[in-house]
Amino acid sequence: MARSEDAGRGPLTAGAGVFAADGEVGPDLAVVDWAATPLGPPDDWPQSLRTAVSILLSSRFPMWMAWGPELTFFCNAAYRRDTLGRKYPWALGRPASEVWAEIWDDIGPRIDTVLSTGEATWDEALLLFLERSGYPEESYHTFSYSPLRDDGGAVVGMLCVVSEDTERVVGQRRMASLRDLGSDPSVVRTEQEMLAFAGRQLDRNLRDLPFTLTYLFEDDAVARLAAATGMPAGHPAAPPTLPIDDAAGVWPAAALARGESVLVALDGAPFTGLPAGDWPEPPTHALVVPLLQQGTTPYGFLVAALNRYRPLDDGYRGFVELVAGHIAAGIASARSYQAQQRRAEELAELDRAKTTFFSNISHEFRTPLTLIMGPLAELRTQLGDGDERVREELEVIHRNGLRLGKLVNTLLDFSRIEAGRMQAHYEPVDLAAVTAELASVFRSAIDRAGLSFDVDCPALPEPVYIDRGMWEKVILNLLSNALKFTFDGSIRVGVRCEDTQAVVTVADTGIGVSPEEMPRLFERFRRIENARSRSNEGSGIGLALVQELVGLHGGTITADSALDEGTTFTIRLPFGTDHLPADALAPAADSATGPAAVSSAAAPYVQEALRWLPADPSPEVARDAPPPAADASVTDPARGPAAPVRVLVADDNADMRGYLARLLHGAGYQVDTVDDGRQALEAVRADAPDLVVSDVMMPHMDGLQLVGALRNDPRTAAVPVLLLSARAGEDASIEGLQAGADDYLVKPFAAAELLARVRASVELSRLRNHHARWRTALIDSLQEAFFVCDESGAVVEINTAFTDILGYGPEGLPYTPLHPWWPDAETDPEAHRQVADVFADLLNRNQGSRIIPVTHRDGHRLWISATFNQAQDPDTGRRVVVGTFRDVTAEHYAVQRETALAALSLRLSQAVSLPEALAGALEELKTLWRARRVLAAVFDGGDTPSLTATDPGLRWDDLSERHRTALLGQRQRPSLTPTADHGIGVGITLEHPHGPLVLWLELGDHRPFVDQDQVLLSLLVGHLAQGLTRAHQIDQQRETALALQRAILGPSHLPDGFAVRYEPATRPLEVGGDWYDTVPLPDGRIGIVVGDCVGRGLQAAAIMGQLRSACRALLLQDPSPAGTLMALDHFAATIPGAMCTTVFCGVLDPETGHLAYSSAGHPPGILTHPDGTTRLLDAGHSIPLAIKPGTERPQAECTVPARATLLLYTDGLVERRRRPLTAGIGQASQAVQDGRHAAVDDLAAQVMTRLAPAGGYDDDVALLLYRHPAPLEMTFPAESTQLAPVRKALRGWLNQCDLPPQTIQNILVAAGEACANAIEHGHRHTPGDTVRLRAEAFADNLRLTIADTGRWKPPQPHAHPHRGRGTALMRAMMQQVTITPGPAGTTVDMHTRIA
Amino acid sequence: MTTPLTLTPGHRPDGTAVLKAVGEIDMSNTDTLAAALDTTADPLVVDLTDVEYLDSAGLSVLLARAERIELVATSLLAPVLTISGLTDLTTVHVLD
Repeated sequence: MARSEDAGRGPLTAGAGVFAADGEVGPDLAVVDWAATPLGPPDDWPQSLRTAVSILLSSRFPMWMAWGPELTFFCNAAYRRDTLGRKYPWALGRPASEVWAEIWDDIGPRIDTVLSTGEATWDEALLLFLERSGYPEESYHTFSYSPLRDDGGAVVGMLCVVSEDTERVVGQRRMASLRDLGSDPSVVRTEQEMLAFAGRQLDRNLRDLPFTLTYLFEDDAVARLAAATGMPAGHPAAPPTLPIDDAAGVWPAAALARGESVLVALDGAPFTGLPAGDWPEPPTHALVVPLLQQGTTPYGFLVAALNRYRPLDDGYRGFVELVAGHIAAGIASARSYQAQQRRAEELAELDRAKTTFFSNISHEFRTPLTLIMGPLAELRTQLGDGDERVREELEVIHRNGLRLGKLVNTLLDFSRIEAGRMQAHYEPVDLAAVTAELASVFRSAIDRAGLSFDVDCPALPEPVYIDRGMWEKVILNLLSNALKFTFDGSIRVGVRCEDTQAVVTVADTGIGVSPEEMPRLFERFRRIENARSRSNEGSGIGLALVQELVGLHGGTITADSALDEGTTFTIRLPFGTDHLPADALAPAADSATGPAAVSSAAAPYVQEALRWLPADPSPEVARDAPPPAADASVTDPARGPAAPVRVLVADDNADMRGYLARLLHGAGYQVDTVDDGRQALEAVRADAPDLVVSDVMMPHMDGLQLVGALRNDPRTAAVPVLLLSARAGEDASIEGLQAGADDYLVKPFAAAELLARVRASVELSRLRNHHARWRTALIDSLQEAFFVCDESGAVVEINTAFTDILGYGPEGLPYTPLHPWWPDAETDPEAHRQVADVFADLLNRNQGSRIIPVTHRDGHRLWISATFNQAQDPDTGRRVVVGTFRDVTAEHYAVQRETALAALSLRLSQAVSLPEALAGALEELKTLWRARRVLAAVFDGGDTPSLTATDPGLRWDDLSERHRTALLGQRQRPSLTPTADHGIGVGITLEHPHGPLVLWLELGDHRPFVDQDQVLLSLLVGHLAQGLTRAHQIDQQRETALALQRAILGPSHLPDGFAVRYEPATRPLEVGGDWYDTVPLPDGRIGIVVGDCVGRGLQAAAIMGQLRSACRALLLQDPSPAGTLMALDHFAATIPGAMCTTVFCGVLDPETGHLAYSSAGHPPGILTHPDGTTRLLDAGHSIPLAIKPGTERPQAECTVPARATLLLYTDGLVERRRRPLTAGIGQASQAVQDGRHAAVDDLAAQVMTRLAPAGGYDDDVALLLYRHPAPLEMTFPAESTQLAPVRKALRGWLNQCDLPPQTIQNILVAAGEACANAIEHGHRHTPGDTVRLRAEAFADNLRLTIADTGRWKPPQPHAHPHRGRGTALMRAMMQQVTITPGPAGTTVDMHTRIA
Repeated sequence: MTTPLTLTPGHRPDGTAVLKAVGEIDMSNTDTLAAALDTTADPLVVDLTDVEYLDSAGLSVLLARAERIELVATSLLAPVLTISGLTDLTTVHVLD
């Protein structure tokens, strides 16, 4: 050390001020023993030196200076920091040549030049190996040496201003290397090329990388030297291979394989004689870094020998790692390119192989296919009416055989095209006709899909040469495609002419194709992923084939498409034959074979398309028949072995769906099937099955999405799912299981495996969900709808039966009030109110039960018996309502129907005529339907229909125009089919005996007319039609009977004094075997007959009629009762059924009351005197008719006294079971006695009433009453000359009445006065009018009535004094006089007692 | 036809004029009765014993001439004669 410690640091002298400018270096300069240097103590320094030192120390720029003969060294703080390093403070005060001994060779000459010439030097980025850090260090400096002059101007020293450039220079060099590495002009290269390029770049920087070795891991065991720079071949430090696990290996490969970087010291055997790169000495260390690969073991490692003249700092390490990273990236890219290349080659190879394969095998396929399809056709014919299941299986085989055949043919076409072996025969055809013909094949399928189909194919001007078979495939493929991707709108096929081309378009309004997909539309096996389609089936080969085929025709096909708007394919075919090979042309087809019969090739296309369309328009869950019996192996500990396990199968392929269903069904599962994931989700939500078996690939919602959706819903999260997929491979199954599927099965699978997996999944899931399922099973097992309501009335839980009954499933929970099943308040306020009442009860009462109307989800009316109880939720303690609904709709309607029918029947049965039946029925219907009114219009051929209405008196012309139109319209409709005309009512037509009848119900406001009402109305009206027919028949019968009765029962005109009654036993007939008759005889006497034939009803009436007529004729011939009966005996003997008829026959003299009579076994007549005594006319009695014809009959005589009453009758009146006849006769006598003061007709009614048994007469009854004398009835002109004859007649009648003379006189006076008044008024006001007088005698009373047509004046004694006297006389003579004046005349009614 | 009525004038043994009526008297023949009465000198006895019927019209004729006549009748006519007040105005001889 030059610095002399023992010299010590002298006390700071005045010279120390020289170093004061810098607080860092200054103190160190101050303690230098300057006296020992040629410069001497600072105090003695010349001013020039002091100034130079001051400048040096005060500068922030790194500087040093040398002064004096030894060029003594000074530096400032910046220089110390940047450059001097470990030489500070030793260097201070020492000779410069000593301080920078290691670079003196470089700088010495420069300093000499400065000192000798006095001119400054300039060096930029001069490489200097400084030993400031304990080793020779590569450094770069930019500096200038300037001369320093003493006070005398001589150059005595130099000042060096320096800046170090080491970082910049080294950094630039490394950056250049990295840039070179990245400057590769080629895009992709092989791995080797890439490494060679990188090597060339690294070789250009042997300073930072004296040598490099790139090792790549070949396999798990060995690393191979792939590239080297700066290293001669065969050097022991660069072995061609390196076992990874060899701990003694040259390089630590194992650590590198783990991705670690290792710094290796290059000493020891293998490293002797290492190349030095651009340096004099070989490197001492190498940094070995991994060539990292994303996510896995490194590709290999890079050995980077390190510049021994630079420290391994972050920058250096980063540089090496970047180089390694670049190499790794290059390898990755090269390998990836290689892999792609290989794959492309493989694919091409595969494609070639496939084509070859298909071309070879397609033929091979066709043979077995033929052998399948042929016998299959045979089998289908034979077993056409065989077992259902066999037929279904055959259908599946047939359809899939067709499909396979189509696929094979398509592939064969391709291989032919590819091999250039397509044998085409182009013949001239009418392209429009051929195309239209082909299109028509698809019409049914398109119609069924609900799309419109527009075929516009006008004839073209000239024929187009096509190969029929190929053209068929072109059009069918395009149509098939259009149908598959079109869900609504239309499909259009058009043919037109454009210049020299025929243009054929097939356009749809389907889902369209996105612009990104368009370029690849016609690529083979290209299918657009996730496109919404009718089927996920398809090979993606159709459009490619179409393009090839069109190409063979020398034509083009293009597609225009817009997403969600549709796709149009346009084919352009040139006219003529120039574009076609001459040897493939054929003449036009024989026209005899007709134009283009569509070949059988079309069938598979259409068959396939039809399979995409739902057979049943509703996407409901299809359920197969219940399983034959539960498989013992599929038992359920929770539900017991009897519970069938329900499996939901979701697959878009109908055949696969059917196959799975049959397989599972056969194993005892109850199977439901759906077409896609969306339907499956709905089905599971509605009613969770025990297992879902789902295909992965499905339209609308695939299997994975289905699983996701199920798992996200707590209600369905526990439902196990078994996924089926055609995608093999670990990834696919992991994806499925990650989505939450319970199991995953790859198609094709063995049936046994599927069943095993299904069973395992079901059992596992059953164990997991035992408790919950037990509860659910319990609730679901209830046949009644079960629900739980929270406090607000929202339904939060329901069971299966609830959904079954109301149509609302668990997917809609919770159902908040007003619940959707409430009847509509607008259209049915009454029903709405009933439900609202129950709901209020439900919330406010502990329990209850009611029958209420509700509305099913599909809108139909239900009647349910609702029962509810309040309960506490054990978990939350909240109040809930638990209730049940029982569907009593059928009972309700049955009761309603029965009640209505019974009421209507009753009405109809009560009616005795057609109009009455109809009117009664209308009333009943009005009540039943709560109708405002009910109308019935009978179109009976009149000018206007006959109207019957519940509003009495309503006529057709009273109806509004609207009603008349509605009724006339209804008449055109079929019978018994109700038609509701909203606003004015419901009409229905039925048959009325007189013509069609339109019945019209005007319902109340908002009274809905639902299906059940229709049924009920039809039923009732049907019943009514029958009832009307019956009433009509009865009407006819009765009319017949009445006509008969009029003809045979009794005389059309009864003589005065008689009253008769007839009561038939057989209603509604009003005739029977009994009769009465009066026969006016020429001598003024009257024949009286009452008879009784055996039996009743029409037959008896017929006999009776004959006897009556005969009897009447006999009496007229010989007015002798006994003679008449004797003749009648003979007559009756000739009539079957007339034997034993009883007859009372009499001849009455009405003047005297003398009666001759004879009885043929008839009950005795009863004669009642005015005083009430009775006498039986039991004389003249003999046997009934025709028993002994020819036998003499007795005859008796008697006189009917004045005011006595004669009663004749048949035994129905008096004969009762378990009672002697005499009792009945006594009762009849009493009745006549009691009624002897009544008019004779009133008496007849009284007798019939009094003698009627409680339930009415059960035998015919005929009754005849005569009171003697008959009332006097006279009518005479209002003239005074009439008075005397009238008086005479009255006097005679009064004498018949057996009255005292004075009484007679009084009555005559009263009657005379009344008549005189009548005549007087008649004369005065209306001359020629008549006056009517009637006199009737009762047992103890007499009644006189005199009526005129004039008006009496009140008594005016002064003008007509005697008239007032007349009235006074009347009042004096009679006990009661009533004079009743009226507009039509005056009536005088007078009574007097006569007993 | 007019009601049959025969009116026969005569004298009693004492010379008193008598008009005997046979038949019935009603409004159709009162004019005849009245004329017969008016043509007979006073005093006059009207014999109604063979009259079977007499109505108020006949009574009026008699009442108008009550002061110059006497009546002879049977009990059959007695009620009307009494009721009409004739018995109060003149002498009525009721036979039987």
